[in-house]
Order: sequence, then structure tokens, then C-alpha cells
Amino acid sequence: MTEDEKLFAWLDGELSPAEAAAMEAKVAADPALAKLAEQHRELDNQLRGAFDPILTAPVPERLQVALKPQAEVIDFAAAKRARAWPSLPQWAAMAATLAIGVLVGDQVPRNGGAPVEVQGGKIYAAGAVDQALDAQLASAPSRDVRIGLTFRGRAGEICRTFSQRAASGLACRNGDRWQVRGLFAAPEGQGADYRMAAGMDPNLASLVDSTMTGDAFDAAQEKAARNKGWR
Amino acid sequence: MDQSSSFEDQLAALLPRLRRFAHSLSRDAADADDLTQATIERALRSRDRWQPGSRLDSWSYRIMRNLWIDTARSRSRKSVHEAPEEEGLNVGKDPRHAMDASIDLDRIMRAMSQLPDEQREVVALILVEGFGYREVSEMLDLPIGTVSSRLVRGRTALLAMVGEQ
Repeated sequence: MTEDEKLFAWLDGELSPAEAAAMEAKVAADPALAKLAEQHRELDNQLRGAFDPILTAPVPERLQVALKPQAEVIDFAAAKRARAWPSLPQWAAMAATLAIGVLVGDQVPRNGGAPVEVQGGKIYAAGAVDQALDAQLASAPSRDVRIGLTFRGRAGEICRTFSQRAASGLACRNGDRWQVRGLFAAPEGQGADYRMAAGMDPNLASLVDSTMTGDAFDAAQEKAARNKGWR
Repeated sequence: MDQSSSFEDQLAALLPRLRRFAHSLSRDAADADDLTQATIERALRSRDRWQPGSRLDSWSYRIMRNLWIDTARSRSRKSVHEAPEEEGLNVGKDPRHAMDASIDLDRIMRAMSQLPDEQREVVALILVEGFGYREVSEMLDLPIGTVSSRLVRGRTALLAMVGEQ
């Protein structure tokens, strides 16, 4: 170790007690060296002072979502244990009620054909969403509507998640129609691309979690279910 | 399952520190956050290679540093050579005394960004992040003497840039 290296190792607390004592004595006896040591101490403080504010600055949301949604999407069982949600009927009704506001506010397509319609107090998929739920596989290339998971609900009905622009939702088979169980708007200012990159909406993930029995369908099961008319 | 959720929680707890290190390595805030995000993604994908019980911080810092070398080093090098001239001239010629009570944070960060990469990473890991020489030598796969000599050169250059001697 050179003498310079030794001086810094001393400042950094990297010397053995004996070496440190020797260096301390040397610095004490040499004003120029003592001044240099003091300047470097001050420099070290400035450096920490310059970068430490990052520690307490808010972490950008994109970094937080890079960590969080992945866990919720990958591991529904763990997510389920971690959360206690209202039982499905109230929750679905709540979500469906919220959905009206979302749809009226932002989601009515300009080229006609609302994505849902209300019939007998129930909300059903309509238009492009209904068509996608009927015909589209998760593997289909990105279109206006994307299909996510397909699985069976508690009554054995087939359910599918979908997303369209900044909203995503869950619809389950009811008779020969797709009843919307929940529809969630992305947080303000987050478009569909953001959503797809960030993973499933946590609210939707919770609803899926409380609805799903068994595992999500793989590609072959999904296709077979479609060929049997989603029964 | 508990293991995996605690992995994510621990990584989340490290986020502020990882961002700080990313800001030392990168020269602008957007690059730093891109680097942090890439690091998180890589860490999540490689979680099987982390040994529970070992230090997650060293492991994650190492991932970040390697990603930075892979993806940004050529760009960083380029930007050193192309650093605007007046910026280079400003550094070290500020009329204020370096030990002025009002510490010029911006100035020291600019000085940091002018250090050669191999000195900057060592300075950041030891002086800002608080790792020991041995830890840094393992993290960077460098002999401890190399860490020590780069630290000397980096610090000496920084002091010359930020203040009169």
C-alpha cells in the first residue's frame, strides 16, 4: 500500500488498530498531511451530502410497480392469503357500479358500440369486448381488446379477463352472454401500454383471485373451451 | 411463497439505495431510473441465483453495475469525451471557496460525473454507499489493491475539481 493509499484507508477505517495508530501519529505530526486529511474528510461529507437526498426522495412509481404487480399476477394463491376482500357478490356489484362511471366518463368509443350494456340490472359485454371474449385467444396479436386469463369460476362458469385501452375487467359466462363482474380504470394518466407493461391491475387481480377455481387455462384448454362455446 | 414475498419486500426496501447508486453511475436522472428499473427486473428474473442469507444489497449492486457496463458504458464514455467544454471549465474554477458553508451539491455531482468510470464506481461504492474495500473488491471482481489505488486517484481528482487546495 502506498502512503497515499494508507492515508485514505485510515480515513475509511480500513487499517488495523496498530496501523491506524501509526497513521494518526504521522498525521498529527505533519500539518500539511493533517490539512489534506481534513480536506478529504470534508470532501467525503460533501459527496454523501450530494447523493443522500436521493434516499429520501420519493421513488418513481414505475420503479415501485416494477416490483409489485408481478407478484400479484404470478402468485394468486399468495396474494389471496395476503388480502381479505369482501365476498364476491358485494365486491362484484361494487365494481360493476363503479364501472358505469368509468364507461360513461371515458370509455364510450367514438365510433359507436359501447363495450357494455345493461340488461335486467346486469352488465353484459357488448360490441368489440363481447366479440373478443367470444372469439379471441390470449395469444392473439394486440388489438383494440386484449384477452388475458381464462379460467373457471366458483359455479363452474368460464371467466375471462380483458383489457381495452385504459380499462381492464373480468367477464364470466352467464347463459349465452358474458356478464361483466368488474371493470377497472387505470389510474389517471396511465394508458393501456403502461398497464400492459406494468401487469394486471391490482384490483382486477384481487377479483380474479376471489373468482378463480383451479388453474388458469393453458392455450390448449382455452382453445378447446372456445370450440365448445364456453360451456 | 414467504421466501419470494420477502425477496420482493427486501428489494423494495433497497430501492432508495439502488437509485442513489444509479445516480452515481449514470449522468442523468432518467438514465439512473432506467438503470434502476432494469436492475429490479434482472434481480426478479435471477432471484434463484441469490442465496438466502447472503447480502441482497451487494448482490443487487453487482447486478446494477454489470448492467450499467453492458448497456451504458459506451454511451457514458462517449458523453465524457463530448462533455460541453464550458462545463469542464466551470468545474474547479468556481470562485467560491470549496469549504464554504453552503456546500455546492450540484458542483460536486458534476465533478463526480467527470471521473473516469472505473474511479467513479469505486468512489460511489465506498464513499457514498459505505461499502468496505473488501466488499467492493468482491463485488467488482478486482484485487483489493486496485480498488484502493482507484479510490486514491478518484478522490484526488475530485478534490482538485471541487476546490482550491
